[in-house]
Amino acid sequence: MLLVNNLSFYRNDILIFEDLNLSIGNGQITQIRGKNGSGKTTFLKVILNILDSKIGEIFWEGKNIKKNIFNFYNETTFIMDQNTSSRKLTVFDNINFWRGLSSSKLNDYDINLLLETFNLKKYKDTKVMYLSTGEVKKLELLRLILEKKKLWILDEPYNHLDDLSIEILNQTFIDHINKDGIILFASHFNPSIENLRVIDFN
Amino acid sequence: MLFVKKIFLFFKRESKLFHNNIVDLLSNIIFFFLSIFVFVFALGTDEQLLRSIGLGIIWSLLLFSSTLSLRKFYEDDFNNGVLIIFHMSGISYEFIAFLKIISHFLFVQMPFLISLPIASIFFNLPIIEVYNLILTFIIGSLILSCLGSISASMNLLNKTNFSIGSILVLLFSIPLIIFSVGINEYENNFYSLFNLLLGIALIFLGISPWSSGAFIKLALKNK
Repeated sequence: MLLVNNLSFYRNDILIFEDLNLSIGNGQITQIRGKNGSGKTTFLKVILNILDSKIGEIFWEGKNIKKNIFNFYNETTFIMDQNTSSRKLTVFDNINFWRGLSSSKLNDYDINLLLETFNLKKYKDTKVMYLSTGEVKKLELLRLILEKKKLWILDEPYNHLDDLSIEILNQTFIDHINKDGIILFASHFNPSIENLRVIDFN
Repeated sequence: MLFVKKIFLFFKRESKLFHNNIVDLLSNIIFFFLSIFVFVFALGTDEQLLRSIGLGIIWSLLLFSSTLSLRKFYEDDFNNGVLIIFHMSGISYEFIAFLKIISHFLFVQMPFLISLPIASIFFNLPIIEVYNLILTFIIGSLILSCLGSISASMNLLNKTNFSIGSILVLLFSIPLIIFSVGINEYENNFYSLFNLLLGIALIFLGISPWSSGAFIKLALKNK
């Protein structure tokens, strides 16, 4: 369970958000919605301790994340709004790097199946710099399945995706929450997912 | 075991990236050789003059050449979030900086080692000075990588003015130049100067991962 208690964040003495409380239990999916500059990405970064908030506390499975940061990271996948894949490496090189970092148990056969599902198999040995923006985004989203972590935190996951990819992503989200996973994402897009809880940052 | 595997994975990725960026590395080496040509042509054919100032010129040019590649030390991994992903896999920013220093030393500085004997020919350096040059370069380049790491991580905070980082490298490398060039002039004190150089390298190897890690964390907070 992810619990946020009275969280406030100031950047250069400007208030970004104040007294935010949130709890997301196993098998729940929560979307943060809001206009540009409303602090959605900042909120996700504060939860991940990339940005430090002096006011408020965040707990993961009952433990304060600041005192157990690597335990928290060990169960978290973070998909950023930018692409973390290295442009000068091939699709497979990037996947291999992520697979090794997360000690994923997926073998080459599983990877090939995943690439096929996301329609990326033909680009397996292509450098990421030659892929379209949507294809790079799909590659990024592969990390969700590759890392198999319990908590998924995503920033604008629907950006640049076509209708079919959006459908696949929604189904991936549903499968994850059915397995008692937890999802928190920030997006302008309104996905059709049952029991989706929305927090409005406006 | 898992930690060692992650370190191995890091170096595998770095080697692939350097292999793909081989043009950048080659252009640094070409810059080094062209600068040597400029000096040789400017100084004329006086063998004695070339021999007496050759070592100093080679070291100064090595310094300038290695600052050329500093911009890319952290910038790409910082901009695309790889540093965050790597940190989230359980490795501190300080240790990431340490690994980056070693990778810079292996993949950027070491190729210069091959070019040193060739550069020495142009200045007609005696063989003993070439040996000393290679030996001091192995230690000196590690110091340069450490300085480069501090300067590049500082530049993540100040993206508009890259020259501040280069000034810092040049300033702190003055002792390195003094001891590396001086090692040939004071042959009786070879071991004491060599030990001093080794000491400086160890101090910087201790300081720079810590300070670079702090600068990276600060830069991520300001991103």
